[in-house]
Amino acid sequence: MSSDGIIMFNDVWKKYSTRDLFHKSLREEITDIFKREEREKLSDGEFWALKSINISIRKGECVGLFGPNGAGKTTVLKLIASVTYPNQGEVTVSGRVAPLISVGAGFHPDLTGRENIYTNGTIIGMSIKEIREKIESIIDFSEIEERFMDMPVKKYSNGMNARLGFSIAVHSSAEIILIDEILAVGDESFQEKCINKIKDLKKNNKTVLIVSHNRKKMEELTDRILFIKSGEIINS
Amino acid sequence: MIKRLLPYKDLFLVYVWREFNIRYRQSYIGALWAVIQPLSMMLLFTFVFTYLIKAAVTDYPKTIFFYSGLLPWTFFASSVNYSLTSLTGNYSLITKIYFPREILPLSGIVMAFLDYVIASVIFIPMLFIYHIHITYYILWMLPLLVLLFVFTISMSLLLSSLNVYYRDVKLATGFLIQLLFFASPVLYSIDNLSLNFKLILFLNPMTFIIENMRRCLIEGRGVVLWQFVFVSVIVAVFYYLCYRFFIKTERDFADVI
Repeated sequence: MSSDGIIMFNDVWKKYSTRDLFHKSLREEITDIFKREEREKLSDGEFWALKSINISIRKGECVGLFGPNGAGKTTVLKLIASVTYPNQGEVTVSGRVAPLISVGAGFHPDLTGRENIYTNGTIIGMSIKEIREKIESIIDFSEIEERFMDMPVKKYSNGMNARLGFSIAVHSSAEIILIDEILAVGDESFQEKCINKIKDLKKNNKTVLIVSHNRKKMEELTDRILFIKSGEIINS
Repeated sequence: MIKRLLPYKDLFLVYVWREFNIRYRQSYIGALWAVIQPLSMMLLFTFVFTYLIKAAVTDYPKTIFFYSGLLPWTFFASSVNYSLTSLTGNYSLITKIYFPREILPLSGIVMAFLDYVIASVIFIPMLFIYHIHITYYILWMLPLLVLLFVFTISMSLLLSSLNVYYRDVKLATGFLIQLLFFASPVLYSIDNLSLNFKLILFLNPMTFIIENMRRCLIEGRGVVLWQFVFVSVIVAVFYYLCYRFFIKTERDFADVI
């Protein structure tokens, strides 16, 4: 593995709790404010979602994550997006990340499609000026009719949500793009369009990570596939 | 904090604009609500203390006396209310995308500040109607506003992050704010109280802020400098601790929320 990856996982462990209350966690936080130590042991109701993960992804690579439900694929994406942090080990990401974790992430139901393009676009790191320049092209790509753009997103179908979300993410100038299960939504022609767009992104030297259960499509798209099972990377 | 937020200033702007939109969508009188709340409270208090309880609250006209206290108080209370659920309410954003989380509570505070500015517009003609003699002491409003801001931000950061862990915070806050209202000199002036009472009430930074805002606005008196420095230091330390707590807990929001 090369050491100059744009995304590096170095012996990363992540634990989650099955309990619905987190009283202990906050108490730990408070006592930990002035001393920092890693908590390596599992306590009651906790499990490792990721175990000693080592990944190195180079700039411009397109990598697929494949594995059964609950294997930890989305956790890997969340770590890359800095939404959550590892309990042990290190994640280094050099470059702006545009996350696309699941359908319609970050849309506010009461705002219109157009307003959501602005909020969502700025959240993934575009400037207002950038969005203003690209908004026509975002709407075009999503194939949603103009007249729907001034309608609250809560009245959109799931497919429309996904299209708009995908369209915003691929128009951002982020270097790293995370795609979670997005290929499962949208009709066939839009899926085809997405795949072509991902190929385009690859040509533009963007780094793309894809999570999907469609292995055939994934093999067609990606440079290599990482297989994850119960929190570990396996070779097969 | 500013250093952390600067790269995200566009997001912050859009976010404030978004909050504004959400709030006044499907509302007929929109921004007028900002005035209605303190104004109706003022009328109620004036009525109660003029006809029901004939107490000599102040030598100044009661309406302007109450209103000058209600303005900063409403800003504080509604900031805390907006920001309290700002993190838990934006669950779908927090679990998916990284950005400095304080943008969420802060945009609630900006909204409350807009309300404050709108409500203040009513205050200006009131000053003339009651022939309030305006002095240079009014310039004290600026540092006092800064103090009010810093204290409000600290409180909002603390409560909103605690609310991610314990939803009890939301339930407790409504009641705490009510308690704090009576512990703050909105309905009374601490001028006539004994020294011991004054000291107890000054434990609440809102006491200092509200009392002094009123002094320099309508009473034409200045702020005692050493008191100001003292309260500023306390508020600054409080801010530092709250912000540190927020940064520390922020990393776990997505896992806990």
